[in-house]
Amino acid sequence: MKKWQQQIRPWLSKYFSLPSDVMMELPRITMIGQLHVYIENHQGLVVYSDTELRLKSNKGYIQITGSAFVLKMMLPEEILLEGTIEEVKFIPV
Amino acid sequence: MKHIQGSSMMGFITILVRGKDPELFFQKCIERDILVWNVKKKSDTACAGNIKLRDLSQLKQVKRGTHYKLTFTNKRGFPFLLKSFTRKKELVIGLLLSILLVFFLSNIIWEVRITNVPRDIEEKISDQLTEYGIHQGTWTFTLDSPSNIQQRLINDIPELLWVGVQQNGTSYILEGVEKTIVEEEEVEGPRNLVASKKGVIENMYVSKGQPRVQVNDYVEPGDLLVSGDIQFADENEEDDEKKDKNYEPIAAEGEVIAKTWYETEVTVPLKANHERLTGNKETKYHLKIGGVEFPVWGFGEPEYHKIHRERYEKDLYLFKWNLPISLMETTLSEKTYHKAERSKSEAIDIGIRQAKNELQLRLGPEADIVSENILQEITENGKVKLILYIAVEEDIVKQEPIDQGD
Repeated sequence: MKKWQQQIRPWLSKYFSLPSDVMMELPRITMIGQLHVYIENHQGLVVYSDTELRLKSNKGYIQITGSAFVLKMMLPEEILLEGTIEEVKFIPV
Repeated sequence: MKHIQGSSMMGFITILVRGKDPELFFQKCIERDILVWNVKKKSDTACAGNIKLRDLSQLKQVKRGTHYKLTFTNKRGFPFLLKSFTRKKELVIGLLLSILLVFFLSNIIWEVRITNVPRDIEEKISDQLTEYGIHQGTWTFTLDSPSNIQQRLINDIPELLWVGVQQNGTSYILEGVEKTIVEEEEVEGPRNLVASKKGVIENMYVSKGQPRVQVNDYVEPGDLLVSGDIQFADENEEDDEKKDKNYEPIAAEGEVIAKTWYETEVTVPLKANHERLTGNKETKYHLKIGGVEFPVWGFGEPEYHKIHRERYEKDLYLFKWNLPISLMETTLSEKTYHKAERSKSEAIDIGIRQAKNELQLRLGPEADIVSENILQEITENGKVKLILYIAVEEDIVKQEPIDQGD
């Protein structure tokens, strides 16, 4: 059953142009140049330091590296990161 | 960023978390719906972040059972500002004093301005006002209401026809209108004097004109008393015929005092109730804020039971604005009820006096009440009913212009 739901979701978002982050519970990452990263729909903070931020998502981790990191705002499932961003990386489990 | 809006209003704290993986403490916080912002990693084992003041108790719950050490490094926002401010006692006292000062000054009369009247009346008015206690530097709430002052001023200064009293914040503005004594308008040109009432003539003083009645004559209203047509028979004979007919009527002048009669009816009850104040009184003050009154001065009920209450409301001002607070003054005066029972003769006396007074008021001060007779006297339903016959001596002259037919 669950399998079937997961199968149908990409198809739904493709043919009905529904936002895929909502349909497939994926994180939505918004970047403003190198300055800001806004991550929604994450599932928790794992590592945070001056140069690295690692968040859990449903298919592994999101790793953001750079320098002078400050978490401007933390809400459940939302994070606004400020600093100089160099890299955004998806690490599968 | 709307989530952290207003945080400086409500107050926020910067906390420093020490321990292994300090950022995970903040993760725990947001799981408990504690908003966190400006999180900075200071070192491997230290991490700082801001939280709202109202989330503090929840933060302690989060902290319980963990190995993290929390320190508050910074407190910001209005609640902390207020706290540090109230800690400075001198400042608070100074502020309170200055508010009180402004409040007191706003309730003092700074100016009494009298406009629209000549110099001498202005002096009189300001003298009277000083007598009432209205001058520069008095409290506004010790004063009467403007309408009362208006009434008193008109009573006390006969030259004033009207005075407008207006309290405009801290200044009293009085606008007066002087009484100009207007001569009674007389009928211009030739005229006769005729009787306005029926009566028997007692006295006549005719300064101009020809009297047509004599003392002790009975006249009806409209009867000619003094004529303005004067015919000089001797002179007319010498003139030619035309001039004879065109004699010039003059304006008759004079006073005709006649005895007139009035029949009046008065009823006087044999029993009367009235209240009288004994002179014992207490004054209470209340502060009225909105619709609620708080006692300020004067507690407890007076010992007497029959109370006559008088209430005055005094508005308080801050600068020119009327504050929603007002001072209520209640005067509780002891009163007694009096039952008066009159004998029949007393009631008749009272009735006669009353009837005379009423008649005098109606006729004016120049009329002279000569005598009164009781025509009828009925006692029924605890009342005495009198029908009186009152004789008055008064001027019955009415001026009537002579129609010259042009």
